[in-house]
Amino acid sequence: MRVVIAEDAAMMREGLIRLLTDRGFEVCAAVADADALRSAVADTAPDVAIIDIRMPPTHTDEGLRAAIDIRRDHPAVGVLMFSQYVETRYATRLLADRPTGVGYLLKDRVADVAEFVDALTRVASGGTALDPEVVGHLMRAGRDTAGLASLTPRERAVLSLMAEGRSNAGIAAALVITPGVVEKHVANIFAKLGLPASDSDNRRVLAVLRHVSG
Amino acid sequence: MTRDNGLMTALRAPFTTLALRQAVFCVAGAVSAAAILAVAALVPALGVLVLWASGAMSREPAPAVAPVFLVVFPLTVALLVVLATPLGRALGAVHRTLADRLLDVRVDAPPTRPSKRIRALVSDGPGWRAFGYGLLKVPLAIPEGYGAFCYVFGVVNLSYPVWWPLFRNHPAGTTLGPVWGLTPFGAIGTRTFAGTFLIAAAGLAMLLVAPWLMRAGTALDLAAMRRLLGPRRLAERVRELQVSRARAIDDAATMMRTLERDLHDGAQVRLATLAMNLGMATEKLGVDGPPPDLAQARELVALAHRGAKDALADLRDLVRGIHPPVLDSGLGDALATLATSSAIPVAVRVELPDRPAPAIETIAYFCAAELLANAAKHSRAGRIRLGVGRSGERVMLTVEDDGVGGANPDGPGLAGLARRIAVVDGLMRVHSPAGGPTRVEIELPTHV
Repeated sequence: MRVVIAEDAAMMREGLIRLLTDRGFEVCAAVADADALRSAVADTAPDVAIIDIRMPPTHTDEGLRAAIDIRRDHPAVGVLMFSQYVETRYATRLLADRPTGVGYLLKDRVADVAEFVDALTRVASGGTALDPEVVGHLMRAGRDTAGLASLTPRERAVLSLMAEGRSNAGIAAALVITPGVVEKHVANIFAKLGLPASDSDNRRVLAVLRHVSG
Repeated sequence: MTRDNGLMTALRAPFTTLALRQAVFCVAGAVSAAAILAVAALVPALGVLVLWASGAMSREPAPAVAPVFLVVFPLTVALLVVLATPLGRALGAVHRTLADRLLDVRVDAPPTRPSKRIRALVSDGPGWRAFGYGLLKVPLAIPEGYGAFCYVFGVVNLSYPVWWPLFRNHPAGTTLGPVWGLTPFGAIGTRTFAGTFLIAAAGLAMLLVAPWLMRAGTALDLAAMRRLLGPRRLAERVRELQVSRARAIDDAATMMRTLERDLHDGAQVRLATLAMNLGMATEKLGVDGPPPDLAQARELVALAHRGAKDALADLRDLVRGIHPPVLDSGLGDALATLATSSAIPVAVRVELPDRPAPAIETIAYFCAAELLANAAKHSRAGRIRLGVGRSGERVMLTVEDDGVGGANPDGPGLAGLARRIAVVDGLMRVHSPAGGPTRVEIELPTHV
């Protein structure tokens, strides 16, 4: 799998290169600003780009704007936003057109190598990977608080994991339950929230996110 | 009884030290009024000179010097405008000192001029008010001058009968001119000994009136001084406080932003990388049994270890930037510690009888840190002298180096310092001619 890294902190960049190379990814380019990122993506056509949101010169949201451009100009490239803090508005902007091949993770998540690699792979293959923090924010800020309140704690946990973009198998592994139990929870959640049932993970994420974020 | 007391007071009034002091003050006032008139007369005098030189006052063709005067006249006017505020301030300072020494009346000095630039000279409010006092001094000096005249010539006139027998012992028949005694209503002449008593009586009257005249004159003068030479008026002060409050809020916001940026780009990155390396190391060590890749795991743990130490150092620097802990044990210790971390040798001298307010210590410390950093960056100096002392109710911080000079007081660094200092009504003076050396003086109140 081919990856482009855009991260202005050299230490973090080197660490990511090492981690990804070690895990068998091919790092095509590692750059430190948004312009270099745009041309690197155009030149190397990677499967996924890991993008720091704050980069030079203004250190505000260069990475996010570059990501939106990339999603428009290169729809096949997955985009994983990588940041030290969660900004719900950024997440909704990213998800605005289509919640496919997109991720938004806190940098802290890199500490859990397996999960990070899993999320990256998901994004690269057109899936979604939202940080639990982001999902939490979205759910708290969402409109259907009554619907969410009607869920059992277990169902809420499953809903959060769905919103993060995980498959049934992923949810089952995270909660240490069988996929069959997960399916039952999912069916209950969809019934309680009045969502149309869906087989595809992507469509399911879309429905869940639309529901929780309004 | 009270009437007797009143009479006695009136009779004694001329012979008190206060009367003498007032007399000296009034004479000084009259002298300075004359000086002011002389300076003011310079402009019309030069104007007349220009007219004369350009030939406007005669039928003769203009002399060759005319163009010179045409240049000199506007130059003089411009010079007077530029010099008005420093002259006014100097005059004010002299009169404040006189009032303090002679009349025991203390008028606080207005805030010092922020800089020596021409624009600051021309827009110097307190300077112009002091200049206004100078103009007002001319009418104010009239009762003062009269009072002083009555006082001095009252004594002189009173003494006429005493020295008459000493000097007027000519042989009989000698024709002598009259002897004149000066009074405010003209001169009195006499040719006889008895006449001197008339002059003495006039002298006594003058002497009795003089203290009240002088008192009225100085009272008016002091009222004018309080209004024009004292600190700024309330409205100006309010505006000044508004500006400095806005700056303080701005500064605080900027500081928070800088802090966020420092944490985001420093400790946070280091800790995230550290977590990543430990995560990778954990994988290399495996869940149980013999580790799949011990060598790599060791390397990653070593990397993480170094990262943790770097993160700690980062945080320590950051904490010191927020509030250096050593400052709690006083400015002396804090500055000595600061000096040891300077690239250029620094001689520190702190002489404070007691500790200023914590906020003032903090500001002084950060000013010193900034100035030392500036010197290290730009001055190419070999030595720096850092001094802190006390002058009245002000803390004086001085940083001097023997470098190349040319520091710009309006540059971002020094202007930022000036802003921070202004919040507590402090002042900064930068003396840094091209070629050096540089001397920066910072004046802070002891308490906020």
